[in-house]
Amino acid sequence: MDPDFRGDSDHHDGTSDATPGGYTQGRRPGELGFAIILTAASLCLLYSAYGISGFTALSGPGAVPMATTFVMVVAAGIVTLRTWRLPRITTETLSRDILPPMVILFTGFLILFGLLLKPLGFVPTAALFLTLAIKVLAHRGWGYTLAVALGSLIVIWIVFRVVFTVLLPAGILPEAEVIQFFRGLLSGGAS
Amino acid sequence: MDTLLAILTIFTQPELLLLVGAGTFAGIYIGAIPGLSVTMAVSILISFTFSWDVYPAISLMVGIFMGGVYGGSRTAILLNIPGAPSAIATAMDGYPMAQRGEAGQAIGVTTVMSFFGGLIGILVLALAAPYVADFALTFQPRDYMLLAVLGILLVGSLSTGSLVKGIFAGALGIAIGVVGRDPLTFTERFTFDLQLMEGGISFIAVMIGMFGVSEALLQLQNVGLKAVRQKIDKIVPSFGTIRKYLPLSLQTSSIGVIIGALPGTGGDIAALMAYDHAKRITKDPAVPFGEGAMEGLVAPETANNAAVGGAFIPMMTLGIPGDAVTAIMIGALFIHGLNPGPMLMIEQPDMFWFIVGALLTANVFMLIFGLTGIRIFTRIVEMPRSVIIPLILLLSIVGAYAVNNRVSDVYWMLGFGVFGYFMRHYGYPLGPVILGVILSRLLDDNWRRAIISEREDLGRFFEGIVASPLSLTLFLAVILIFVSQTPLWTTMKKRVFRKATS
Repeated sequence: MDPDFRGDSDHHDGTSDATPGGYTQGRRPGELGFAIILTAASLCLLYSAYGISGFTALSGPGAVPMATTFVMVVAAGIVTLRTWRLPRITTETLSRDILPPMVILFTGFLILFGLLLKPLGFVPTAALFLTLAIKVLAHRGWGYTLAVALGSLIVIWIVFRVVFTVLLPAGILPEAEVIQFFRGLLSGGAS
Repeated sequence: MDTLLAILTIFTQPELLLLVGAGTFAGIYIGAIPGLSVTMAVSILISFTFSWDVYPAISLMVGIFMGGVYGGSRTAILLNIPGAPSAIATAMDGYPMAQRGEAGQAIGVTTVMSFFGGLIGILVLALAAPYVADFALTFQPRDYMLLAVLGILLVGSLSTGSLVKGIFAGALGIAIGVVGRDPLTFTERFTFDLQLMEGGISFIAVMIGMFGVSEALLQLQNVGLKAVRQKIDKIVPSFGTIRKYLPLSLQTSSIGVIIGALPGTGGDIAALMAYDHAKRITKDPAVPFGEGAMEGLVAPETANNAAVGGAFIPMMTLGIPGDAVTAIMIGALFIHGLNPGPMLMIEQPDMFWFIVGALLTANVFMLIFGLTGIRIFTRIVEMPRSVIIPLILLLSIVGAYAVNNRVSDVYWMLGFGVFGYFMRHYGYPLGPVILGVILSRLLDDNWRRAIISEREDLGRFFEGIVASPLSLTLFLAVILIFVSQTPLWTTMKKRVFRKATS
């Protein structure tokens, strides 16, 4: 059995987990660039690791970092050389298969999410994110989008806030008051 | 007697029982929905169960693990899309069966066989772990160090064809793990004089980024994929069918446990090896392999569930994870202030037996949920990806934020998510990264302990390795993995092979 066989040979098959999508016999668009970047970054890290404690002691704080970054440099170097020799896959392009606009858009969404999380608070930010994301992905009307986005947000919020007691930035929403209100209702019902 | 009580703890508290049940149920569906993986679910859940007690948190995670390994087979059979890597081999014969209209039978046999496999795995765990833990007490620091290296290497070499990429990923993981102030000397490592980096990188942010965000980004490319509806009937298999495949299932379960117990290898490899084994020993199958042979379904499914119990052996006794999910479970135990390893088994044996009990319960729940509720199941699997993907991303953000209440963790997660996305595309395995992050501390500490006890003398260090049979075996195993990947090995193999044939 081919050790590289991971489900469908097409990488768009939806298999999950850490299933690598590389090919053994060809070089995907951007793969060489990625390998070169990794090598360069590993070299920087090796230099940085050398700066921790140098070659002073085998038990020094820099010993393991130096060893691992050295391994990284060697491994990344070998990968770069091997990738270099492979023929390029002609059926794929960078903008279609590796980094489609949708992926860039969603990365942008996530960065925005992080920026707005503190000032706006979790609930409004998440509502905004879900609505936009579902609208973009599902191509459905606003009614469907809003219903699904807000509906699932309410479920998520209840699960996190009540079951998992996760603290999320309250922001502009008077979250504590809302919870207090429900607590009041519950305890009122219990007594 | 105490042991039995500890195993039964779970039944004394209905809340725990409920959590295992809910976890198993959720696991089956998470495993079944392509694009949602157990690793992802467990890593996101760690941060949510952070404020809970240890028992409920473990109950939920054990349930999800058990259910998820099984759940992946459902979509493998129905859609030819393995819901989890451990179900890849299941798709090879399961899907042809579904095409012939035998989906119900395939699911039924899979469920019962998964239960068998799971049971055998747990039994081996319960019987073997105490002995392994006793043995582990004699381990020297250098042995731990070698074991950690071996684990990372094994994940790298077995999970993909390219060991070099695996080694890179593992080393990267170790490097990520040492970021921050060194706990022994308080020296800054890889902080680049940024205050943000002094506390180190939250491994939960790394995990969620790699397994949650990168997965979701990858799934953006198959938003339009439609699920195919299959007719399912006659699920519960007859006793005769089960008896017929019992001998095979026993063999493949043992393969599963052993592969699962090797540090660094999990259910996916166990399933593939078991499938291979079944193919070799079944002389004349009723239906050829690859066209819907029942044997091809029984073998991987027993093996991957048996591997669950197996994977817990090195995790509980040595603190070395058996695969990516157990690596995350170790992270969860760390967070709850427990330190998996031989000392945990001795100081808190109840904890170990509780986990055994939880696994057993989860296995039973898996059987129950597996044989019922198929109708709801097909509904849930048909949930559109355009809704699932935004929800995964939202959960990932909440998960990364919740542990330390820091927005910077969200950015770490995002960074590793995008990085992991590229790694997936270019064939770098992600498992070794997580293993590296988790094992980084153990590796660093034990290396330093070992070399200090040898007075900083490398010569004496190697003398120590050669003098101890255990260290020597581990050391040779590490060397062997390296050599097996170099051209030297292939030429040697060719030469030996040629001699044998001539």
